Amino acid sequence: MSQLLERAAYGPRNEVLFIQEMNILTRHHLDGCPLYAKVWLGWQPATDVSEIPFLHVGVFKHLEFKTAVPGICYERTLRSSGTTSGIASRIPLDTKSSHFQSCSSAAILKDFLGEVPKPLLVLDSSRSLQTRGEVSARIAAAMSLRPLASDISFLLDEAENPASINWARFECSSGEHNDLLVYGFTWMLWLAWATQEKPPAIRHALSNKRIHFVHSGGWKKMESLNVSREQFNHDLLQGLAPGSSVLDFYGLVEQAGIIYPLCEAGFRHVPVWADVLVRDPLTLKPSASGNTGLLQLLNTLAWGAPYHSVLTEDLGRIEPGPCSCGRSGARFEVIGRVPKAELRGCANV
Amino acid sequence: MSSHLHYFGMANGCTAVALPFPLEQVMEQWGQLRLCMVRELPPPFIRDEWGYLIAFLDRENLQGAFTQSFGDPVATMTGPIRIMERPRGLVAVWLPNNVSLLGPLTMVLLSLTGNPIWLKGGTQSEDMSGAFLAFARQRLPSGPLKKFLIEQVRHDVFDREDPRHREMAAKAQMRIVFGSDAAAEAIHDLPHPVGSVGFSFIDRRSEAWIEKGATTDALLRDLIKVFAIYGQAGCTSPRRVVLLVNCPSEAVDLRDRLANLWPHVVQRQPAMHIASENIMAWQWAAALGWDARLTQQHGAVLAAGRIEFPEFNASMCLRIVSGSAEQALESLPRNIQTVGYGLAHPGQPAWLDLLAHSGIKRLVPIPKMHQFGPVWDGHGFWRQAFEEIEIG
Repeated sequence: MSQLLERAAYGPRNEVLFIQEMNILTRHHLDGCPLYAKVWLGWQPATDVSEIPFLHVGVFKHLEFKTAVPGICYERTLRSSGTTSGIASRIPLDTKSSHFQSCSSAAILKDFLGEVPKPLLVLDSSRSLQTRGEVSARIAAAMSLRPLASDISFLLDEAENPASINWARFECSSGEHNDLLVYGFTWMLWLAWATQEKPPAIRHALSNKRIHFVHSGGWKKMESLNVSREQFNHDLLQGLAPGSSVLDFYGLVEQAGIIYPLCEAGFRHVPVWADVLVRDPLTLKPSASGNTGLLQLLNTLAWGAPYHSVLTEDLGRIEPGPCSCGRSGARFEVIGRVPKAELRGCANV
Repeated sequence: MSSHLHYFGMANGCTAVALPFPLEQVMEQWGQLRLCMVRELPPPFIRDEWGYLIAFLDRENLQGAFTQSFGDPVATMTGPIRIMERPRGLVAVWLPNNVSLLGPLTMVLLSLTGNPIWLKGGTQSEDMSGAFLAFARQRLPSGPLKKFLIEQVRHDVFDREDPRHREMAAKAQMRIVFGSDAAAEAIHDLPHPVGSVGFSFIDRRSEAWIEKGATTDALLRDLIKVFAIYGQAGCTSPRRVVLLVNCPSEAVDLRDRLANLWPHVVQRQPAMHIASENIMAWQWAAALGWDARLTQQHGAVLAAGRIEFPEFNASMCLRIVSGSAEQALESLPRNIQTVGYGLAHPGQPAWLDLLAHSGIKRLVPIPKMHQFGPVWDGHGFWRQAFEEIEIG
């Protein structure tokens, strides 16, 4: 159990307790996951966050890490989209961690979206839920909003086809509610909602609705579509009732339950049961505050597999000082994926 | 077009090679281009690649294509002409997106055959063949090579749906395809002249075999050099080193020596994504039981282990195992191309016998692993650019 999870997400941090919980988790995984134990032979308990061992996010694409000990019951496998490499990560989800992750995402989102449940409309197909034993990154992200939902509907007839948005279903699901949550991957929200021609009756109905758009999945596709964040937000909010908003969150399948919404000041805040480090990729040494490097994400929630501390392929930097949004604790900026250059060879890669 | 006859001496007579230009002058012009190349480094080439290209244009190396195929050059007929070689006709070359120096090198070798050449470059890559052709056309003084490169070499870039694929195949007397198995199959399936010939330089892997007594620092430096230029992306780069001794701890020692030498041989800072991928590969290897180590600045992963350990792959990872030659042979990949050696006596009959029963296409000293030539992937493709006329 994480004592930290019982505290306010962005309240005062307790570094000693965080390291203590991370050390317990690390020992648990070393004892129960032979693959992990081979990577971190001879590990000694950490006295500083930077000493907590990590797994590179890419190893989850090649190996299935599982901490199979009594008391851990696996229920599903989380699968990343695998858009960059063509290979998906697979994270086994257990009941205990799922419970913590659900509590975590609810606490984080409530801080940004309020506590009152609203109908949740997901830009995906309900058929995406039916993959036996596996959950896609998109569905996992949508389901992290479940604690804030009074009801859930899926607006697409075909999961990958933005033009298949079903406005009749929207009308039916939103009904008399004037406050709605709409979730989609960033590019899907743009293509299925912002750029689709809406029937006149829907346009009229929308003018009375306060919609809180929540999106994740990164900005890469939007860059290729040449859409700025300002244009994205503007087009989504056009024609809606005052008080509508757009919330972008950053998260990884390999860090289920921990999401990092963008605050009003443009930063991502770290809840007290998580932490973020920036490491120099050439030395792995922690970078000083303000310097750019690889983001390492840590949390106290992952019991079924050692994804409690993950070195990502995302570049970021930690912003020093307090944030004007009023949230305390560490905050950071995600700069983007590590840039990749083409590898020359003999066409065999 | 008038022909220039060139004679090469064989034991039983002479071979006459008919070219559309005086070979001597073409060689001379490649030499002139070398002098220009020394003073520049045009994009997209990196220093190592440009240096290799300069070395490749050495007169002796170019002349080697003829001597290897037809014998030593002679000024005049020294005996009866047994064979005449004449250019076969249009040579079409398909180069995929990430192909390395093989494109420019193939073009240079083919230029010596006097055949018209049609090169198809990749649509998403830094096009080295096109860049080198443009450089040569621009920098060469007037002469037969410049005229040949301008008038007889066509270079196009187009995508896979373009009708020019079909046109290339239909017109070419020789097809050379670099790329995946599927790409080569698709090209050779296009309608082509019945008498034409086709070569596929497809997905291949290479490795290095070293005897313990040969592990000098000089050899290990050479090994690092041939590996570091392309890592696993190069079909002639070693993916695995087999130390020919049955002692696992020796593989660990070799790994440590390579890791210590690495910063003295590779001074460039690795790209951030390579460093990141190597951190991943180091953990992947460790989880599989390999004794893996990152080199300085995470430029590569060197992993020592047993020959039977499962593979892990990343662009800059090198596996080091110990075992007998027989074990090395048994565990060769299906698509083996080059084995680079550090052996005391590679010409010994035991090695030749072993080669005779393997799929190895090249057995060369480690420093020569990337050395491209008229024989490639088991084919004497360069000689096939000529039609052979028997003279009774």
